[in-house]
Amino acid sequence: MPAWPENRVHIGSHAKRVDAPAKVTGAAKYTSDVQPEGWLYGMILRSKWAKAKITRINLDQARKIRGVKAAILRDDTGERTVRYYGEELAAVAGVSKQACLDALRAIEVEATELPFVVNVEDALEESAARVWEDAPNASKPRVREQGEVDKAFSDCAAVVEGFFSTPVQIHHPLETHGNTISWTEEGVTCWASTQGISSVREGLAGHLQLPQSKVRVFSEFMGSGFGSKFGLGVEGGLAARLSKEAQAPVKLMLTRFDESLAVGNRPSTCQKIKLGASADGKLLAFELENYGTAGIGGGGATEGGSGGVEIPAPYIYRVPNTRAKQFSIAVDAGPACAFRAPSHPPASFGMESIMDELAVKLDMDPLELRLKNDPFEIRQKEYRLGAERFGWKEKYRKPGSSPGPIKTGVGCAAAQWWGGGRGTQAEAQVNPDGSVEVRCGTQDLGTGTKTVIAVVAADIFGLNPEQIHVRIGDTQFPPSGASGGSTTAASVSPAIYDACTKALQELQKQTGVADARGENWKVACRKLGVNPLVVHGQWQEGLSSSGVGGVQFAEVAVDTDTGFVKVKKITLVQDGGLIVSKLTAESQASSGVIMGIGYALYEERVMDRQTGVMLNPNFETYKLAGLSDAPEIEIVFLDMPERGVIGIGEPVTIPTAAAIANAVANALGVRVSRLPITPQRVLAALGKDKLSS
Amino acid sequence: MKPFQYATATSPAGARQLMGDNGTYLAGGNDLLALMKEYILNPKILVNIKSLPGLNKIQPGGKVWMIGAAVTVAELEDHPGLKKTFPALPQAAAEIASKQIRNVATVGGNLSQHSRCWYFRQRDVLCLKKGGDTCYARHGENKYHSLFAGNTCISPVVSNLSVALTALDATAVVQRGDKQIRMTMPELYAKAWDNPTAHNSLEPGDLILRVEIPAQDRRSAYVQMSEKSAFDWALVSCAAAGKVQGGRISQAKVVLGAVSPVPYQSKAANDFLEGKALDTDTTAKAADLVLEKAHAHSQNGYKIPIVRALIHRTLMQLKA
Amino acid sequence: MSEFMSNPGPSISRRSFLKTFGTGAAVAATAQVEAVARQLEKANAEKVLGPDAVPITLLVNGKPVKLQVEPRVTLLEALRDHSGFTGAKEVCDRAACGACTVLLDGKAVYSCAMLAVEAQGQAITTVEGLAQGDKLSPVQQAFVDDDALMCGYCTPGFVMSVTALLKANPHPTADEVERACSGNLCRCGAHPRIVQAALRAAGVSTTSKTEVISYASLA
Repeated sequence: MPAWPENRVHIGSHAKRVDAPAKVTGAAKYTSDVQPEGWLYGMILRSKWAKAKITRINLDQARKIRGVKAAILRDDTGERTVRYYGEELAAVAGVSKQACLDALRAIEVEATELPFVVNVEDALEESAARVWEDAPNASKPRVREQGEVDKAFSDCAAVVEGFFSTPVQIHHPLETHGNTISWTEEGVTCWASTQGISSVREGLAGHLQLPQSKVRVFSEFMGSGFGSKFGLGVEGGLAARLSKEAQAPVKLMLTRFDESLAVGNRPSTCQKIKLGASADGKLLAFELENYGTAGIGGGGATEGGSGGVEIPAPYIYRVPNTRAKQFSIAVDAGPACAFRAPSHPPASFGMESIMDELAVKLDMDPLELRLKNDPFEIRQKEYRLGAERFGWKEKYRKPGSSPGPIKTGVGCAAAQWWGGGRGTQAEAQVNPDGSVEVRCGTQDLGTGTKTVIAVVAADIFGLNPEQIHVRIGDTQFPPSGASGGSTTAASVSPAIYDACTKALQELQKQTGVADARGENWKVACRKLGVNPLVVHGQWQEGLSSSGVGGVQFAEVAVDTDTGFVKVKKITLVQDGGLIVSKLTAESQASSGVIMGIGYALYEERVMDRQTGVMLNPNFETYKLAGLSDAPEIEIVFLDMPERGVIGIGEPVTIPTAAAIANAVANALGVRVSRLPITPQRVLAALGKDKLSS
Repeated sequence: MKPFQYATATSPAGARQLMGDNGTYLAGGNDLLALMKEYILNPKILVNIKSLPGLNKIQPGGKVWMIGAAVTVAELEDHPGLKKTFPALPQAAAEIASKQIRNVATVGGNLSQHSRCWYFRQRDVLCLKKGGDTCYARHGENKYHSLFAGNTCISPVVSNLSVALTALDATAVVQRGDKQIRMTMPELYAKAWDNPTAHNSLEPGDLILRVEIPAQDRRSAYVQMSEKSAFDWALVSCAAAGKVQGGRISQAKVVLGAVSPVPYQSKAANDFLEGKALDTDTTAKAADLVLEKAHAHSQNGYKIPIVRALIHRTLMQLKA
Repeated sequence: MSEFMSNPGPSISRRSFLKTFGTGAAVAATAQVEAVARQLEKANAEKVLGPDAVPITLLVNGKPVKLQVEPRVTLLEALRDHSGFTGAKEVCDRAACGACTVLLDGKAVYSCAMLAVEAQGQAITTVEGLAQGDKLSPVQQAFVDDDALMCGYCTPGFVMSVTALLKANPHPTADEVERACSGNLCRCGAHPRIVQAALRAAGVSTTSKTEVISYASLA
């Protein structure tokens, strides 16, 4: 059974991100930067109606615009029922952005507007317009039960109830979705901003009806995705067809407007939770009713009614008697997709909020209540360690007891995730001059995959990470899975370990050098002669596993005169098996926390029920946390090398909003149970949003 | 953006002529380009007015300070003389947007910028302000909207500088045709109170040349509050000016931004403050008077306590 | 001189004209240059350009770049699509995120909110212009050392904002760094390390306080 070396020099070190120099100089070419000879600009025409029957789309005038080289319909017939504001209708390619803008305005669309519904509450009404004609807006609820929940509640010493809701959250990777696609008779080359080059290749081949061997996809540098960039996408298919029609490469990157509307989001939730416990705080009964929207992707038309709306419940805590009833509602808005730890942040928010309510009812320290009920030993230790680092005992006071008007409070919450991996292949090439290239068809969305590869290879060969030439993001390289579910490090590291270990063994065998590592490297390599050594490897059992916890503590200061919430400190304790790269792990941790702060305080999609449009398809009113909004973030990783590599990109964002919400409730003595916790909602919770106060 | 012509004017008259019937002036361009990218405005010619002589100077004076309309917000923010003499103004400037915007945004542009209402800014919604029939904010998403309104449109003024300049009794000097006219700050915005399609009282072709601030014995301060810590529109902003002696205020002006189509004042509140000691009681009563005619919509009632808090904080800054 | 005569841009100001030619000349020469500048201003002024493409010259990282662009082309588009400077990124195209930040005569501006024709006569610095050959600028090196990035898409913009800040304020506090960068967004959440890197470039280094603790060692 393979095992990670005991003496790790670069693995677990603070080795620098290997592609940082390329990124800080502008040398890194992302999909949006790639400019093949003769490239054209591509752009999409989107529906300005939330719901309409499109009967005719006329591209004639668009084709006449100077500089336009191609214009295509999304659907051959030009007929379509659009179901959300922003749905794709047609696309154009031209020699400049301006030519495309002019072409879009010249496209004539005939449409009959239809009744629409964009809000969940409206969609629940009997009289609501149906998103999908032959199905109700609400899916059939799925009920999961265990034990005897009704009886159990009557046996509880303390029972609390609450409503908790979370918004639709938009991924907003800074590089929008998009592709630069070059269609030729010989085949298709695609630079994709993607988390899964193989998924793009598969999509392209299918869409264009080509053999997969004629499709090559690159993604060397990629401006993040957070779960939204898998598969070809409508925009990828349009770019490919434009390229074919124009007989030239087409770069079609979405605008921020497009990105806000059409390429995925985190479903909303509306959770009614009831929780009961014994007098000494042992959880006995849990009941949840949850519904939310995944846009057009949810509701009665979907199998099993999920569309991603369902959340794990009860989250984290094992309760002997439970009932969870969940369903999704379709609305005329962009469909949901996987978003960093899908369903966990809202699950955490609801569960951890009601836990704190229970703690108040039982007059217990919320941390004690958790320690009493958390089944995962690793997390128990994370809580204890985190509490000590954070200063929980010193900072915790009964809710609302902070003197005003700026009230401080603290809260905590937990995460669980899997993050295992498998199935990756890799190749190591050792050259006679001692240079090394490691190739793997994986992706790096900023997560640090390249650095992980470099440090693993460096430790195996006894070299420095800078000496490893890492090449990823090419479907011609040995394949890896898509980068999602926090599986990349756990999938890729073992494959690199295997390829490099085998390469080292082969090098030593071929050259007769007993130990070719480190100082002996160059001498040994020279003995290879003319040809390099190329060795294939693949993921091996024993170097990675699955299942992590994670806890976060939050301290906030709330200005009760203005409702402004300032997060002062977050303490995070996270396990991830063997921490391969300390530097990139730290980056992931603060990344998760800051995204969690956005979810807690600023972000929500706002739809207008009168017109059906999205009101905030931009960064002005869909607000991302800025530098001044970031708190002090204290990060502690628990290294468990015996468990092998486990991914941490998602667990680090799960409990942040829950911890902050608990801290706000602790500060104020009243709870804001709806995210984001804006000044409006804080002041409303304090009863101050009226003239007479 | 649709295609357009571009020219640089060398005189106000030249600018007016170049602008013609379907053009517009281009100063910093932040607001204009954003509107053009959404096809809300489609001028056929952009006339650069940044090179007009004298428009980019801050001129201190014994009786009056003159600030050219092409002076950048960054210059206002950093000006030591302004910080000493009219602190509310650089304080207001410092809160505008981001450094990148402040480096190019101009005084004139900031004062004349268009509504930020998300219905107004939505490319596919024909709201009342754009000539349609309906103010969608009234019965829709109105958390950012006005507490005071003189007409059906409830989009509030968002110019930070307008709030500070109103408190400082500034006057705008505007080239209208071949005349220079003077408008007080209230006059500069009055039309927005009465007319739903107006953002201010400027007419097509009007060119703000400068603002003039009278030398005064008064202290001043500006405070705002937003959802984010920085680079975010104010939910409410407040400027106050007043003469402070022995802890008592006189000649007071308290002005609110982001709650009304115009920088909002209450004469009753200003009158009440005359001679009062600056303390919590006084500021609370002043706030009550300012809020007398406030009307909350479905989502913006929370602005009321914020108004109270900011009036208190701004007035108390004058005492310090 | 002839270069300017044959490629009249719309707004070559006297100030920038003199800058290009230098003001260290003798008085007589200065007077001559001033006269030419006045003539140029007059010639350029009020000339209507477009709507079709017009020739412009942008001074990018010290080198003139000659382009043909419509007046409606932004500086960002001129840099990325017309002259291969892909460092500055298009992320929002609405002056709301900072990824397109370049320096104009040392000041940070949003290149997406500026017309290319208006950027003439000023020194444009993009992220590609900071390193000296292989040697990264102090700000760039600090970003690498403190890992002030993840996906890197916001990085050129932040590097430019921090570069501009340190030029104006060589010893900023953390608060001042945050304020100077309030117009830059990062979705990956590199916030604390961006501040750290800016301070490092200003001479104040901090080491990461992140701990990696052996689980086995916990009680």
